[in-house]
Amino acid sequence: MIDYSALKKAVIDGDDERTAQLVKEAIEQHADPADIVTLGLQAGLVTVGEKFSSGEFFIPEMLLAARTVTRSLDIIRPLVSDSDMITAGKVVIGTVVGDLHDIGKNLVGMLLGGVGFDVLDLGTDVYPKRFVTAVMEHKPDILGMSALITTTMPAMEATIQALESANIRRQVKVIVGGAPVTQHFADQIGADGYCSNGGSAIELCNRLVGR
Amino acid sequence: MAMSHKARILAAAHRQAVDKLPFGARIDVWYNYHCAHGTLPEKYEGWNMVDILRDQGAGVQVRHMRIWKLEYDNLEVVTREDPPYTITEWRTPVGAVSLKTVFRPEEGSWIVYEVDHPFKSKEDYPVIEYIFQNTRVVPDLSEYQQKEKMVGEDGIVITGMDMYSPMQQIMRYWLGYERFFYELHDHPVQVGQLYELQKEVAKKKLEILGESSVEIPMLCANWSDEFHTPVFAKYFSPWLREASDYLHSKGKVTQVHSDGEMRRLIPLFLETGVDVAEAWTPMPMTSVTTGELRKAWGDKVTVWGGIPAVLFEPQYTDQEFDTYVIDLFKQIAPGYNFIIGMGDNLPFDGRIERVGRIVELIDKYGSMPMKL
Ligand code: B1M
Repeated sequence: MIDYSALKKAVIDGDDERTAQLVKEAIEQHADPADIVTLGLQAGLVTVGEKFSSGEFFIPEMLLAARTVTRSLDIIRPLVSDSDMITAGKVVIGTVVGDLHDIGKNLVGMLLGGVGFDVLDLGTDVYPKRFVTAVMEHKPDILGMSALITTTMPAMEATIQALESANIRRQVKVIVGGAPVTQHFADQIGADGYCSNGGSAIELCNRLVGR
Repeated sequence: MAMSHKARILAAAHRQAVDKLPFGARIDVWYNYHCAHGTLPEKYEGWNMVDILRDQGAGVQVRHMRIWKLEYDNLEVVTREDPPYTITEWRTPVGAVSLKTVFRPEEGSWIVYEVDHPFKSKEDYPVIEYIFQNTRVVPDLSEYQQKEKMVGEDGIVITGMDMYSPMQQIMRYWLGYERFFYELHDHPVQVGQLYELQKEVAKKKLEILGESSVEIPMLCANWSDEFHTPVFAKYFSPWLREASDYLHSKGKVTQVHSDGEMRRLIPLFLETGVDVAEAWTPMPMTSVTTGELRKAWGDKVTVWGGIPAVLFEPQYTDQEFDTYVIDLFKQIAPGYNFIIGMGDNLPFDGRIERVGRIVELIDKYGSMPMKL
């Protein structure tokens, strides 16, 4: 039985080299790749998210941990290419039209990528139509929208309406976030989820895809 | 005789007595948006921003990006348009880097946004170092002086360090936030070297500011504690202290645009020697109340702001707006070292009459010392 606590700690420390070394060691010991990912890498990243949510960690720690996990997944991926273990689900994410703020959105995208979601980032200033096209084309499980300005928040509602008009609203879970966005607003516009920070985005998306 | 808006703002910034609570209002997001869409209120069609603020009775805050030009030796800067983007390329003997920006004034913005930053990989270090080493900073004051004349005694034209202190300039402009933190972790020596070189450029800007008529040079902008706290003590405080000391020796006071989440930066701010925290944005847009801030800073820092942008929006009733402003007055009474302002702007769906309403409330409650 492999002890994954050292691997988890290496992720929390954002220590690329140590993480890669521990992943290779676990593979040599015939560990199940799914366990390496979930009990080591992703468990570490979830803790990092929690530490960020509680204010103990800052953005650099999150970024480094997410990168560490992404790099380690590259070591594991060839071993499990036919398994769906690594892909928790597909997420399309973007900052809504009129809004160019992307720091929070990028962070959320990286964290979700780190815990196994396949993330497609549409960037900033994304029109409702473009979100709709991306949902049609990529069939994500989750559509994530970020807004940092109160005056751009209505674009989230417009996007949900555009999904409805295109008859694809039920195909995808919609989550919203960004400093001025609230749970109340998310409920009002008919989103499926809201989270106040990057750390809780992991938990929310896992819940929405039934993980 | 009553003090002018400008005299009040300057006195408060210098932590001196004022007759009445100063007010310096910022409305350029609202103004730019409505000009671009042809939707200014009928009364204000064709007006300039300063006259609108005068009409509301408020002190004026006008922005001006910089009072210098950057010129380069031994390298070529080529700019081309690829709508909606502008691509700028620095071609140096040691290689080239390019920047992709977009400017969206129709959304209210007064700044360009970097879509793709010059630094792409570690091969770009020597190129960017070369650019910094070959940068000249040349005074260019004419536009600023025109704005100064236009505003007169009715307020202040704010300008300063091109918005950013040296490390913020590297983070935000040259590398971008995410890459900055990776690079600081992976190549701290090279990032440190960029910082040292950018400081030299910044010193030249400071000298121009020191010799200019700019009253409260702006030293940095757009802070948020999630990304600035870890690097603040090492890269922000020392430079801000040095810059403030220098500008103090020239008879000036300094300010920063603190419009983001400030909770964990509040204690660190006191190390900087900066006199004014402008664009102070309290709850509900951030997690901190003005009362908490005043408790932490006492009279050591003058605060400019206090009314979050969202309060001007229709989602808040006139009654709620009044209640918020009066409560703010209570939190800051007796009111010294405070300049009322927006955190950080009047949004484009904000109600311009509320600027005038603040003036009425100051007339009612804002005589010094305020007793509420
Ligand atoms: C999909 O699911 C999810 C789930 C969770 C999600 C999510 C999505 N998205 C975010 N989250 C959540 O997780 C993240 C991690 O915990 C969090 O993300 P955040 O993005 O909230 O947090 C980041 C990690 C850190 N925070 C930030 O990055 C934002 C910080 C502040 C200071 C800020 C910054 C840095 C900037 N700005 Co601007 N900026 C401000 C901000 C102040 C504030 N109080 O928010 C704000 C947002 N800005 C504002 C303004 C007005 C503007 N800005 C502008 C520009 C900029 C900069 C370019 C200078 C820069 C952005 C750089 C960039 N690459 O993004 C302009 C807008 C341009 C445009 N069209 O978008 C301009 C118009 C300024 C101007 N006059 O030109 C204000 C909006 C006011 C309003 N009415 O709502 C503002 C609140 C400042 C203020 N005090 O008024 C959570 O919200």
